[in-house]
This record gives sequence, C-alpha cells and structure tokens, in this order.
Amino acid sequence: MIKSRHLRLLLGVPAVALIFVFMILPITNMVEMSFRVPGAVDPFGDDYTLMHYARVFGDGFYWNVLVRSLLTAAGVAILCLIVSFPIAWHLSKASGMKAALLYALIASPLMTGVLVRNFGWMIVTALNGPLNESLIALGIISQPLRLLFTQTLVILALVHVFVPFMVLPINNALRNIPDNLVEASVSMGASRYRVFRDIILPLSFPGIQPGLILVYVLAVAAYVTPALLGGQMVTYMPTLIIAELTGTFRWPLGSALAIMLSLSTILVVGVFTALTWRLMERARA
Amino acid sequence: MATVDVKNLRKRYDDFVALDGVSIAARSGELVTLLGPSGCGKSTTLRCLAGFLEPDGGEIELDGQSILATPSNRRGFGVVFQNYALFPHMTVAENIGYGLKLRKCSADEIKTRVHDVMSLVKLTGLEHRMPREISGGQQQRVALARALVLKPKLLLLDEPLANLDARLRDEVRWLIRDLQQQSGITAFYVTHDQSEAMAISDMVAVMKKGRVAQFASPREIYQKPVERYVADFTGEANFLSCRPLRALGEGRMRVRVGGAELDVECVPSLKPDDAAELLLRPESLALAGSGEAATFRGKIVKSAFLGASQHCEIALADGGVLKLTTPPNTPVRIGEDVGITVDRSHAWLMPEVAA
Repeated sequence: MIKSRHLRLLLGVPAVALIFVFMILPITNMVEMSFRVPGAVDPFGDDYTLMHYARVFGDGFYWNVLVRSLLTAAGVAILCLIVSFPIAWHLSKASGMKAALLYALIASPLMTGVLVRNFGWMIVTALNGPLNESLIALGIISQPLRLLFTQTLVILALVHVFVPFMVLPINNALRNIPDNLVEASVSMGASRYRVFRDIILPLSFPGIQPGLILVYVLAVAAYVTPALLGGQMVTYMPTLIIAELTGTFRWPLGSALAIMLSLSTILVVGVFTALTWRLMERARA
Repeated sequence: MATVDVKNLRKRYDDFVALDGVSIAARSGELVTLLGPSGCGKSTTLRCLAGFLEPDGGEIELDGQSILATPSNRRGFGVVFQNYALFPHMTVAENIGYGLKLRKCSADEIKTRVHDVMSLVKLTGLEHRMPREISGGQQQRVALARALVLKPKLLLLDEPLANLDARLRDEVRWLIRDLQQQSGITAFYVTHDQSEAMAISDMVAVMKKGRVAQFASPREIYQKPVERYVADFTGEANFLSCRPLRALGEGRMRVRVGGAELDVECVPSLKPDDAAELLLRPESLALAGSGEAATFRGKIVKSAFLGASQHCEIALADGGVLKLTTPPNTPVRIGEDVGITVDRSHAWLMPEVAA
C-alpha cells in the first residue's frame, strides 16, 4: 500500500519539477526583482525599495493602461462567447465526417503561427489592402477604412484566434444535455426561446464559465497581436511591460507592472468565479 | 376527457419504414398500450402523438379535430420519458412547477398545485431536493407529477418503468394506473413488457414492423390472438400445426391435431382449407390422472421446479412439443409416458401466417 503510494507520488515528479523550474522560480525571481532599486549599469541594483509600486499604483497612466487591458480582454471574452455559442451548438449536433470537418475548421486559427496570422491581418486590412480595395470597388465605401493599428482590429483578431477555446468547452456541455430535456420542456409548453433560456443556457454554463475564463486570461496576456495590429497607437499592459524590460531596461519597474497585471487578473477571475458559483453548482448534474 | 383517433399513420426514414399505416383509437379515459419489440414503431407512434415527429402521412385527431398542424408546445399533452428527463438544474418543486410557470400562474397557485400533486404521488418533503439526490422511483414519480400537474388532455408514457428495478416497477405501475383512473385522463403507454401491458391497459395494440397486428382488450389479445406473432408476444404459448376438417358454424371448427379430433374456437375469418395452428396456453393443459381420458399422449422430456409450480415439456408422438405447468408436487419422471388433457374452451385456432 505504502509502496504503491510512493510510486504514485513519484509519477508526479516530472510535472512538479517542470513547474518549479519554469514557473515558481521565475515568478519568485520576478517578485524579488520588483523590490530592487534601479541600477546604474546593471538592470537593477542591490538594495530593496517600494518605489516601483508607489510609481505604478500612483500614476494614472498605468491605471489607464491596466483598465484598458482588462476591459478589452473582457470585451474579447464576451464577443467570443456570442460568436462561439452558435458554432458550438452546430458542432454538438454534428457527427461523423461533418463533426470532424467542423472540428478542423474551428481549430484552424490555431494551426497558423502567431506571426503569420497577424501579418495576414496586416496585409488584409492595410489602407491599400484587399479588404479596402474590394469595398471601394463594390462602391460600399469611398474612402479606405482605417482598420490597421486600431483597438477594433486588435479585438477582432483576438476573438478570431480564441474562438476554439470557447467553442470546445461549450460543445462539451451541450453534448451532455439529453434531447429528452428539450422535448420535455416543449411538451410542457415552452417556446423555442424559453427552451433556450430555461434549459439550454443554464445547462451549458459548465462550458461557458471555463470558456470565458480561458479566453479572458489569454486575452489579458496577449502580446504579439496587440503589438503588431495595435501599433504604437494603442498600449496594453503586455506591450508596456515588454517595452520596460527590453526597451528601457527598467526591469524592476517592468516586474512591478507584470505583478500588478497578474494580481488584477486573478482578482477579476476570482470575483467572476464567486459570482457564478451558484449557477455552476446547479448545472453540475 | 378526450378521444384520440390515429388513422393510417405513416413515417419512413430513408429506406426504413418506421410506421406503415398505423390506426389506433382511444376512447375518453382509456389507457391504450402500444406493445411490441424494439423497432416495431411503438415509440415512433408516441412521438408523433407528442408532436416531436411529423408523420409523412395519415391523421391524428383529438376529439375529432386534427392536431397535426399544432406544434408540440401547444398540444397540452403530458409526456413521461423512460429516462425521466428531469431538469437537473431545477429542484423537484421547480421541475413540477415549470409548466405552470410557463402558463404564467401566480406564485401562490404554483405552490398549492405543486404541493397537491406531490402528495398525490407521495413525494411530500422532497420539494427542495435536486433530481440527482433522489432515487430512480422517486425521479419517475416527479416526472409523472410534472406531467399531471398541467391537467393534460392526453398522457403519453414512453416505457416509464424500463429503468426501474422489479419491485419499484410494480409500485409505480399501480400508481400510474390509479392516477390515470382517478383523473380520467386518456393515456397512451409504450412498453415491450407484456405483463405490464396486460395489467395496466384498457386496450392493447400489439405492433409488428410498423403495423398494428392486433388492437383489442388484454383478454382478447391473450386468449384470441389473430396470429402467432401476437400469441408469442403476449405470453408462453404452444403451437400445434393442424388440419381443419370442417366449419361448425360461426367461429368454430373441427380440427385434426396430434392424433386427436377437437372442436375448437377459431379466428372468424378462417376457412376450412387454410393452413392453421392451434394455440394452447400452458395453463390450459394438464397431465391426465389415472382413468381420465387424455387428448394427447407423449413422453416427458424436460421438467423444472419453479417454486409455485413445475414446468414440463412433453414430446408428442407426431413430433410436436407441448410446454405445460403442473402443481409443484406432482411427481414427474423424465421419459415417462403421460396423457395430457386440454381445456377446450381455452384452445384457439389461428391461420398459419409466415412470420
């Protein structure tokens, strides 16, 4: 008994080692770094200080960027949900070849490298790119649309790539709803809308909640897409942090910003989870 | 409450004919059972009644009015499913009150009506439990209450006892019959269990490959089946192929079977020249005592003690085998020559139909 228990614990060692070396250590290192004084030659000095936190929390500029990051991520998550639900519905009703094809199509945004995908967006949405040119040729617009380097495009591109993370858990939840429940509610007099509101939506929540959290967390931390498609005009926390780390070499300040972002993300996810706890408990059949 | 007329209902899926002209009628307050093996079309018929499926042809009338154009959610029928189909995210009381909520009843009215129906199905005290926290029997009673609380014009039950163990099955079966009788709701009941069908129904439709093989009272289905399929499906049966000799007036015939000549009742349409089979239920046969005139003679080839009775199989001289039940303590020895007496009022002659 004892021996097999030890053996089982042993199986966890590689995973724990990996997380320790590549997550716990760097994070500890970063937390420590955020309390260091700025260095004259090196990225940071030997003494400890609270000045970076004082600056980060005291400066309206950082708060602005943080709030914009969190709100944009929330917007991306909600748009993703709206786009993904009908897709998940169709996927959950499909089987055989049709289901396989749908899975492939849904996963397609993830099959392209992040740079290629974003350069694709840049080419398509450029002022003289194919999108603007076709719209002008069709007579829908007379002046090219300024899409590139706007917040709208950043949101659009993030929604595009995160759709699979929303579709798959919702598809799972929908597949677990027996058809009989719909028939039962219909026989009791429910309209299509009431079936959706009273039965489908609450019972798909075990897919919606993780989908929202997953997409939100990914969107908050997204760097490449905002950096390439947002340009210099729109600043988000990840772009700002990277700029501090690699541009101005103020590592302690960058660390403090990163910790500010992590803590606020954890807070948002925590509050969201607490608020939706009852819904989850009920739907967990 | 309501009469139902199902006329010549048809439904096909690609090249599979699910319903091939099904006609059944239910008088007001009757419980009609659709009995048959899986794939015979009994559930398809029920789903057409409920409005979950649209038939390709035929007609369904409720009190003389066609309901085919009425969508499922406007038909006002109660449906009870094999797997209960309770809403897992609602409490027992919310499940039962859901239909009332859809009808915009006041909170007070919902509360009283839910309370009343819950005491009717003996669920009082479970109002705030979730479906996953109660037993299968209780879940099926919630499903029943949920349908009854809406005072449906028609109650549709799709194998409601199939997921319950034997003891609960009996209990819930009587509950369903009692509630249906008390409320006078016309009901359709789908099952593949013949004893369930016999016990609960006013009328039974035995279904075979998308058609109704026979639609009659349980007694008639059991004692006067129109063909071997129906006899087989409704209980233990012996079949002896025989030669009709001549008609003896309306529905009676003299036949030659197993070395004997018998005068028996028969399917009215049977003619003397038709190939025919004699149905003998095990309980209409007995071992002949000494000095009793035996109809058939044969050798005991098998016997099994079943507690309340004893099961015997007897090979007749002409190759046929008869199964019969004897009292538990009748001495039987394998290989023994015995005589068999036949209760002629329970012998029944049917045309031989290719299965």
